[in-house]
Amino acid sequence: MNSKKLNRRDFLRISALTAAGAALAGCTTPTPQVVRETVEVPVKETVEVPVQVLVEVTPTIEEKEPVELRVAWWGNQTRHTRTIQVIKMFEETYPWITITYEFATWDDHWTRLATQAAGGNLPDVMQHDYARLAEWVGNGLLIPLDDYVDSGAIDLSNVPDETLGGGRVNGKLYGMNLGVNALCMVLDTDAFANAGIELPAQNWTWADFEAIAVQIKDKLDIWGYGGNSLAHDQIWRSVVLSNGEWIYTPDGKALGYTDDQVLVDHMNMILRLQEAGVIEPRDEEVARASLGQQGDPLVAGKAAMGFMWSNQLASTWTAAGAERHFKLVQIPRLAGGLSAIYVKPSMFFSITAQAKHPDEGAMFINFFTNSVAANHVLLAERGVPVSTVVGESMQAVLTPDQIEMFNYMAVVPSDCQPVPPPDPVGEANVRNNVYYPEFVDPVLYGLTTPEEGVVVLRELADEILAAS
Amino acid sequence: MSDTTREWLLRKARGKARPVLKRRSRITRQNNLMGYLFLSPWLIGFFIFTLLPIVASLVLAFTEYDIFSPPTWVALDNFRKMLFQDNRYWRSVRATFYYVFTAVPLRLLVALGVAMLLNRGRRLVGVYRAAYYAPSIVGGSVAIAVMWRQIFGVDGLVNYALGALRIPGVNWLGDPRTAIWTLITLAAWQFGSPMLIFLAGLKQIPVELYESASIDGAGGWAKFVGITLPMLTPVILFNLVMQIIAGFMAFTQAYLVTAGRPLDTTNFYALYLYLRAFETHEMGYSSAMAWVLLLVIAFFTALVFRSSSYWVYYESGRVEE
Amino acid sequence: MSVVGTLRSPARLSKRNRDRIGSAIYHLIVVSSCFLMIYPILWMFASSLKGPSEIWTRLSSLIPKVPTFENYVNGWAGFGGITFAVFFKNSLFFATMATIGAVASSACVAYAFAKIRFVGRGFWFTVMLLTLMLPVQVLLIPQYIVFSKLNWINTFRPLLIPRFFGNAFFIFLMMQFIRGLPNELDEAAEIDGCSKIGIFFRIVLPLIKPALITAAIFSFYWTWEDFLTPLIYLNEPRLYTISLAIRSFSDPSSTTDWGAIFAMSSLSLVPVFVIFIAFQRYLVQGISTTGLKG
Repeated sequence: MNSKKLNRRDFLRISALTAAGAALAGCTTPTPQVVRETVEVPVKETVEVPVQVLVEVTPTIEEKEPVELRVAWWGNQTRHTRTIQVIKMFEETYPWITITYEFATWDDHWTRLATQAAGGNLPDVMQHDYARLAEWVGNGLLIPLDDYVDSGAIDLSNVPDETLGGGRVNGKLYGMNLGVNALCMVLDTDAFANAGIELPAQNWTWADFEAIAVQIKDKLDIWGYGGNSLAHDQIWRSVVLSNGEWIYTPDGKALGYTDDQVLVDHMNMILRLQEAGVIEPRDEEVARASLGQQGDPLVAGKAAMGFMWSNQLASTWTAAGAERHFKLVQIPRLAGGLSAIYVKPSMFFSITAQAKHPDEGAMFINFFTNSVAANHVLLAERGVPVSTVVGESMQAVLTPDQIEMFNYMAVVPSDCQPVPPPDPVGEANVRNNVYYPEFVDPVLYGLTTPEEGVVVLRELADEILAAS
Repeated sequence: MSDTTREWLLRKARGKARPVLKRRSRITRQNNLMGYLFLSPWLIGFFIFTLLPIVASLVLAFTEYDIFSPPTWVALDNFRKMLFQDNRYWRSVRATFYYVFTAVPLRLLVALGVAMLLNRGRRLVGVYRAAYYAPSIVGGSVAIAVMWRQIFGVDGLVNYALGALRIPGVNWLGDPRTAIWTLITLAAWQFGSPMLIFLAGLKQIPVELYESASIDGAGGWAKFVGITLPMLTPVILFNLVMQIIAGFMAFTQAYLVTAGRPLDTTNFYALYLYLRAFETHEMGYSSAMAWVLLLVIAFFTALVFRSSSYWVYYESGRVEE
Repeated sequence: MSVVGTLRSPARLSKRNRDRIGSAIYHLIVVSSCFLMIYPILWMFASSLKGPSEIWTRLSSLIPKVPTFENYVNGWAGFGGITFAVFFKNSLFFATMATIGAVASSACVAYAFAKIRFVGRGFWFTVMLLTLMLPVQVLLIPQYIVFSKLNWINTFRPLLIPRFFGNAFFIFLMMQFIRGLPNELDEAAEIDGCSKIGIFFRIVLPLIKPALITAAIFSFYWTWEDFLTPLIYLNEPRLYTISLAIRSFSDPSSTTDWGAIFAMSSLSLVPVFVIFIAFQRYLVQGISTTGLKG
């Protein structure tokens, strides 16, 4: 059983490492001693008296005139319910502020917010995404949070600076990190045990992956790998990253990697495995998609490995059932290559430029980040919290899936890459109109070869990026 | 030419005197007044809520507009890109035409057939009617999309039934040759709306016509061809036009069930247009696509209307359009 | 078949028996095809009664092994204190008002197009049809801006008020029915001194009841399941309609409570069905034009 309870020192180390990991300056090995100092905050390390904790952290509460704050986020029923609970806690703490909230699914959230932006109707605080932050900042739709940080309205004294890098555009902070996660390969440890295969190390390669997948198929007659396609654009990025490059140039006007061969090799591997029946074929993946995690082969026991974001492990494990066991390892890297992953902010809260009450919005963000009680309600559903204090306090309430996620996020920073720059404008276009329809699907459906495919990919992608 | 013009010319030719013109013009003025009075709800709504957005979308078709920043004029660039540089566009067109020319006739035939079946007024017909209409009610919900995917999934009901007949299963949703048929069957399954309209039309045929035909010795088929069909033609015209328009604008089912996959074989025009607008924020391109669609639909609709004078019978007489 | 043969052969089935067999075959065909029609709905209802472990494992079965109502309880709870009672109320209000508005206004406009010869009729009819042919997706943003300037966002106004100004689909539908009415009716009424308005209310409206009912049924169920415009114009969850609320349950990037979705979808079918069953008997009535014969 993997889920050993973490002791206190491990926990502090996890929090510090998680933080230290996402450095723009690159990953460094941890020094546990540093941890002790940063834990010194004027906050009692108890969970029982949340109100007291808050009173000490937040500025004085004076009588103010009523303010109505609008907050918007995406998620599912679990997130909606928990977030609403936190909102009620916030309203109790700040009685003159009422929050009207708006939530939706991922797609609907962006449809609605784009429409609101066009109509000048954006809410005060909105949940944001790493891939879209640059576009919104570039269009002047978000305001920087630096002033609030400097004044202490958003108290980041417990938040290591490295976790904030992902939310910075042009040097200013536009998004408050709501939790960190990283890409991971999820292994069904029971399946591995049944097949007599040793669990791979964190720095395993694609060659190792292929060998293991074939073995699983041979021994257990299930897919070695299933779920999100191995040609998913996140894997594309990871392959290029492992090769030491990034898929976009710094100015975002063209594809930024020069070596197409790694992608060709990767696609050829997928084709081999598809042909041999070792992985879920593309047409079956298409037929199964959109069911969410319940349809996932890993969940159903039809595959032994799958990739996802680390904070998605919770829902996967829930869907699979508590009696299963999973372990997270890094996405495989190229032979002789660098790590294929980086520590990423899972999502942000941002204050929009059309906000009517940006100050109160900042207070909400502060509460969300620092309130221990609030985070005990949220239960790291958005990712590992960035505040070390919060992270530490959660030790008592973690479930096995969360422990695995926290464990993983503890080891990743010691061997990972720095956060890449935000995606350029036109990224969605490249991904939706070129990468999948003109490259991945034709190759995996056998209509073209990987060698031809990468040429088309580069040509069309460069065209789009140059024009945006 | 309009009625008034033709009448005026006729009168001129026959050399009628003025007083007749005066009576006619009073009636015409009364007609105009009444006409616009009854038309006013739609007309007002049109000017307030519809005209401006339509004009805006037309202008946007010639611009590049990412929703967040003001549009920039690019003239015919969107159209050029769309027609000559966009592979997905043509796949989308092909998928849409395929759908319209299979799903629409299929749906109408089934609807008419079932309506005729239900019109006999045997017992329990109300229950049957509700059952046949039920699929349309579930319409475009998330639940039906999931169900449909399950039914056509690799381990789904359809393959299970085929397996019982010793026919190998098909990957309906993942195979580019068959995916669109999952949507066509979905459209045919939801024939309730045109069926209801046919039913209402059938009910409107006066029973005396059938009675006198029976007295004259006409059999079932003769009654169908001689009374039912002609009296139904206005409704057939309506259903045909509406289903063609709906077919070209098919969106929800493709969005929820297949998301346009695989290989864009179900990437219907309206879906692709929506994705270009809200996924990649190319509102200008999307508007250009919309106006091309409007022209295509208008063309086919005009064709049907043109032909209608040959086969549609109105009890109240031919009316000029 | 020869008359001689039928008179002589005693083995021939009596007409009544033939009718009975014909009726039985008719019912058999209709019932089995009805089953095919409603099977997916039955499946959805059955799935709503299955626990989370059963829903995806025993797919094809229509009978749950361990029936449970937990999906209904979970689903009804909604989000953060806003239960489905609120969503139902919103949807009912929206659909009912929209239907009344759409049917009433469309009937007036249809009358104008079908029976009154006025200048510009052909032109406006063409324009009206053309508005049907433009995909609503491209009108979303410009319309939103219009309503935003009117300050109607986050209310039901953008959803309801435009529906009181006629709906091209219903207008065209009713036109075709009005045209199916013989001219002699209005001419008789006009001779009797009835105005156009009188003709509309006293003659045309009662006679196109099937069309009105049909339009009402359509309008109700279309607004009931519309989610795009509620998504854009209703920001606060307490205003959500059922269609929007059910959508909010699903999130492809993590777990979706499918049991709750099926449960609430099953529930949401009930009002639409009730409306349909309540009104469909009006569809049954044909018209009798015996009044003309005299």
